[in-house]
Amino acid sequence: MKRVLAFKHGMLAPLVALLVLIVGFPLAYALYLSVTDYKLTDRGAPAFVGIDNFVSTLVNSDFWEAFGTTALYVVMAVGVELVLGLAIALALQKQKWAKDLTRSMLLAPMFITPIAVGLTFRFLLNDQIGAIPAMLRSVGIDYDFFGPGRALMTLAAIDAWQWTPFMVLLLLAGLESIPKQPLEAARVDGGSAWYVFRRITLPMLAPVLVIAVLLRALDALKVFEYVFATTRGGPGTETQTIQYFTYQTGIQFFRLGEASSMAFVVLVVVLTLIILTFRRVEKGRAS
Amino acid sequence: MTASCAGTGGPASPESSGLGDIPKGTQGTVRILMENVPDTDIVMDLVDDFNAEYPDITVDIESLTFDQMRDKLVSSFQAPDPTYDLIVVDNPWMVDFADAGFLEPLDERIASTTDYNADDFFTPLVDITKVDGTTYGVPFYNYALGYLYNSDDLAAASLSVPTTLDELVSTSQALTSDDKSGIAMQPQRGYKIFEEWANWLFAAGGSIYDEEGNPTLDTPEAKAALEAYIDVYSNSAPSNSLSWAFDEAFRSVSSGQSASMISYNWNLPALNDPEGAAGSLAGKFKLAPMPGGKQVLGSWSWAIPSNSAASDAAWAFTSWVTSQDVDIDRVISGGAAIRSSTLEDPGVLTDGFGSDYYDAVKQILSDAAPLSAGANGEEMIQAVGTELNEAVAGTKSVDDALAAAQAAVVKIQG
Repeated sequence: MKRVLAFKHGMLAPLVALLVLIVGFPLAYALYLSVTDYKLTDRGAPAFVGIDNFVSTLVNSDFWEAFGTTALYVVMAVGVELVLGLAIALALQKQKWAKDLTRSMLLAPMFITPIAVGLTFRFLLNDQIGAIPAMLRSVGIDYDFFGPGRALMTLAAIDAWQWTPFMVLLLLAGLESIPKQPLEAARVDGGSAWYVFRRITLPMLAPVLVIAVLLRALDALKVFEYVFATTRGGPGTETQTIQYFTYQTGIQFFRLGEASSMAFVVLVVVLTLIILTFRRVEKGRAS
Repeated sequence: MTASCAGTGGPASPESSGLGDIPKGTQGTVRILMENVPDTDIVMDLVDDFNAEYPDITVDIESLTFDQMRDKLVSSFQAPDPTYDLIVVDNPWMVDFADAGFLEPLDERIASTTDYNADDFFTPLVDITKVDGTTYGVPFYNYALGYLYNSDDLAAASLSVPTTLDELVSTSQALTSDDKSGIAMQPQRGYKIFEEWANWLFAAGGSIYDEEGNPTLDTPEAKAALEAYIDVYSNSAPSNSLSWAFDEAFRSVSSGQSASMISYNWNLPALNDPEGAAGSLAGKFKLAPMPGGKQVLGSWSWAIPSNSAASDAAWAFTSWVTSQDVDIDRVISGGAAIRSSTLEDPGVLTDGFGSDYYDAVKQILSDAAPLSAGANGEEMIQAVGTELNEAVAGTKSVDDALAAAQAAVVKIQG
């Protein structure tokens, strides 16, 4: 028995070593920076400041405002992606011809780098030279995509354009892995399409839905490029997301120690949410 | 192990003569980081001429977009083996870099360079290179702003160039029609709106700092300037342009959708280039100093990192490319002016972009001031630019935005 355990641990060792190297070291370095007063313009070893950076982060109203902005962005973007993604996945599941062509075309936005997507939409949505405002004006609609109260929605829509295909990909795989028998049984019993979808398809798809939403939410939480390419956080601070705020603090304003503490606070909050979500999923499965 | 990574402070300075006249037989490679702009291309084209005088110095120029530059520079400053031996420094970075000890003082080199005639550089450009009385750079090119306008539009409206803030407002309104905006603006949050609005502040008789260096952003003049700016944005600028920066404003003017803009003086040759973006409108654009006569100045300066591996060779190139003779060639090719005498040179006036243009540039550079003075310039600019944008967006009152801007500058710069 001992030999088996030793072999198991031995087999794990390379993976653990790799994880320590590629995940552990950067995290340890960031943790070290977060307890120092390190500025990019410093020469010489930075001073140890303990939890000062964390305290100043936790009482920084701008930080929490940026956090709230990011949370709202994630809810809007992922919400749209979930609904659209599910609708498209259901439609694609029924598609008979040219399935591969449709799916590969649908996935195209995912392969464009986000900064290029941001820059493209910056000009597509430009009121004077952009194609979209021009089309809207031709039907009598004047809409300021980056105006107050709208800019964050616009960024969420850009995210939805690029990442709904990812949602489609996951949900389509989930839909195709659902066993056919319960669905056929429900139809034979006279269940309507809506009834079958709500009572059978959705519950059976739930684990995939949770994972899809979680993956997209984690990715959307990192939004930076769209903000950088379009609004730079404006109007005012309406689109100042947590990543942009941290970038400004650490890179633009040189305060890398403070920025590291911000990144760690975000990490702790997100990890807590992930753990709670997984526990809930596990409980759901058990019951 | 982690502690050894941060703030190691780079290497000790390599051998440097610190002197100005560098022997023609000097050997070395000068690795330069520059911004990816037309002026850099002009400098690249001059390297062969430099090598005719200094055949053993290799000049290796890397150009990056503005947003990528500073990270690379800071990494090079901190590295045991620097990546760059000569750099260009944007004015909001100058104090931070000098205070950090990243830059070599250049006073002795400048004073000991034969016939360098450093007094010929425009004074506002030189002021930016000085930190606590020490010179850390020499001017490379200027980002001074001016009033750029379509002369046909102004003539059609029977208007002359505005010379006061009130005239700027009324002219912008008069130039506005159903199919054309009077002025293309760049109210994007941060640097862009502050860079533009500060010209309005100067036109209103205000300032960013007083004589003692205290911020003055909550004055009646600042209020008048911001109210005028919002008025013109609301009534005379392209609709839905709250997030516009330079690119969008330039496209609007060059495509004839706007009649004027406040922008960098060296945009005039680009607007009047028959092969350029303005097409058939090329030749119709003119440049004038800002109403009120004072304008915002941005500037890039050549500087030698204190850890440069080839500081003498770096100075050989810097002093050569900024010398009077070479500066004339650079400006004729479209480079931004740095020397007063260059703009009076007969060759420039004949072969360049027109004496009217150079006369306007000379006036502009004679009375200009940067957005920030002192440490943390970048943060100060971003903070003020955010408050101004809030006021234009209507999410903050003018009074509240200016009070917040003033408080932010006091907090950031003391």
